[in-house]
Amino acid sequence: MSIFLRNVNVLSRQLLKTIHNPRTADIKHIKRWVAPTLKELKRRRDKIGPEPLRKRSEFLEWNYDAEIYAFGKRLGEEFDDEILRKSLIHRSYVIQQELKQEREETTTTTSAPTEIAKEDNSHLIEAGKEIIKNYLNKALQNQYPEEPAEALHKYLTADDMLSHVAKHLGLTDLILSEDFPVENSTLARTFEAVIGALNESSGLERAELFLKDFLLTQLSDKDIFDIWEPEKPYEYFIGIAKELGYKDVEPRLCNESATNTILANYQVGLYSNKKLIGLGYGETIENAKDTAALDAIQKIKLQNFNKKQALQ
Amino acid sequence: MSALKRVQQWATFARIWHIYDATWQNPFESAALLKKYLMGLHKPIYHPLADCGDHVVVINCSEIALPGDEWKKRVYFHHTGYPGGASWTLAWELHKKNPTLILKKAIYHNMRGNLQRRYTMERLHLFPNESVPDEVMKNISNQIRQIRPVPKRLDHYTEDEVKEFPKLIDYPKDYIIR
Amino acid sequence: MVFTTVANFVRSRGPDEFWRKRKILKLAAHYIGRRRNCYSIAIKNVHRALVYATKHRQLRKENMRQLHETRIIAGCEQHGISYKNFTNGLMKSNVLLNRKSLADLAAWEPFTFKALTDIARQKCVEDGVNIDLSPQKSVDVITKGMLK
Repeated sequence: MSIFLRNVNVLSRQLLKTIHNPRTADIKHIKRWVAPTLKELKRRRDKIGPEPLRKRSEFLEWNYDAEIYAFGKRLGEEFDDEILRKSLIHRSYVIQQELKQEREETTTTTSAPTEIAKEDNSHLIEAGKEIIKNYLNKALQNQYPEEPAEALHKYLTADDMLSHVAKHLGLTDLILSEDFPVENSTLARTFEAVIGALNESSGLERAELFLKDFLLTQLSDKDIFDIWEPEKPYEYFIGIAKELGYKDVEPRLCNESATNTILANYQVGLYSNKKLIGLGYGETIENAKDTAALDAIQKIKLQNFNKKQALQ
Repeated sequence: MSALKRVQQWATFARIWHIYDATWQNPFESAALLKKYLMGLHKPIYHPLADCGDHVVVINCSEIALPGDEWKKRVYFHHTGYPGGASWTLAWELHKKNPTLILKKAIYHNMRGNLQRRYTMERLHLFPNESVPDEVMKNISNQIRQIRPVPKRLDHYTEDEVKEFPKLIDYPKDYIIR
Repeated sequence: MVFTTVANFVRSRGPDEFWRKRKILKLAAHYIGRRRNCYSIAIKNVHRALVYATKHRQLRKENMRQLHETRIIAGCEQHGISYKNFTNGLMKSNVLLNRKSLADLAAWEPFTFKALTDIARQKCVEDGVNIDLSPQKSVDVITKGMLK
């Protein structure tokens, strides 16, 4: 079936080439048989259905050694070949290989045992996890107060984020695991393992720089309140206002419009000691108060924190 | 979208209610002014497809002032659609029938005839005098400045003010004012 | 002697009728109903669409320019300066922003736009243009003329 499929593809490609090739554009006519043939090919193609998803390693020209070599080079990192290879082998893959070998042994007794990988990347994953955790703690706690830092940490170490980074570093095809297509959690674990591998091959400093370049940069252009938001912003701000040195915080209604309609809009300012510290809008006064508090938190807490840290 | 971004959008496209006093104002000049607020042309975010127009409440529509002899000469045409259904109404007659109609028509004709025009007109609230319902009055948060100042009529000055007004000459005692 | 018109008398226009129609139907692919499926109806609509596209290439530019002007005028009005004085003032101060960027600033960077109106107003004052200064008493712009 698949040979037939490939033949169809090759043929239709050849036909299209003759039609769309600019060199042959000044050919007077396209032969009468071309259209019905293409139609028939298309019909057969549709009947067979879409081509099954295949692993990149199943293709003929796949060269795992070259890919492994190129992976480190294109990121500008020095990986130890052995360790990098190990970091890409998952536990599930090892088990799969062992089962396969057992099956082979039972069926054919004479064949020589094929070499299989014994070691998987589980201890590299653990090591990588620890490095990521430590580095993010260090990096984020310099920049943000405790609660947002925690939320950002969680955001960056979530499977979705790690797998996103791993996928775009080009790890998807290199991973050796049982599941196909590769699941997000597997991608995320592999990223951690690669960090572990980098630590073992070129040291902690390179690993941290790697994280800075590829993981921490995911925060750029993101709004902090998309990731972390206090549940009741006004109460939260009142709670922290004192320790930040803002006394007698009071909300005042600055502007309002269309108050009697569904499109009502209020503007509330938070004042402390007759100074405006945050401005918010909303469809109700309560809402506007909360957004004013959010604005104040952003202006005072997050930005001042950065300044304070920069001075230290 | 974070809460801050959401309310930023909300505030950007907030509808403002303006009030305009039509006393002694030319309705045709006023129309050009009010149209800007109704369509949102006064906002730098204006786009013909964006719904960014404001509401305008016009009071004292019955007090408008038409220039020259427009009251007598301006004619409003209407056709019922049946043969012989044409009718011509003078401005003063129309004003007598409905004191808000001259201003309404002036604003309506000041805008281009597209699908949006009728919806934009929905945002215009005309009142013949100063009495505006409370639920409308609560929405208002801005006043549009009148185009020209309202002059004070001679019979609205008090007798003392008239007496103390500086005069160049006094009429002679035997002068007879007809 | 070569007869160039002979080709026009030939009834058959070649065997590639399918591909000739294909070119037109491709352009009509996003239409609705028979306009996309029937060639004779599709070609009318495709021709009309292409005419529109040609005409509107110019109209689009005009419309965009109009929109930019509307936005700039709205911005100018907020800061109490007329469009004419604003553009003149900027031109004389050697601020050579085009309408598009001015409109973008008016909509997205209101503070930058206000600074531009200040510059234009100050230039108008220095050049003795009759300008209404009532909305803003003092101008926060320092020019060479002030330093003398």
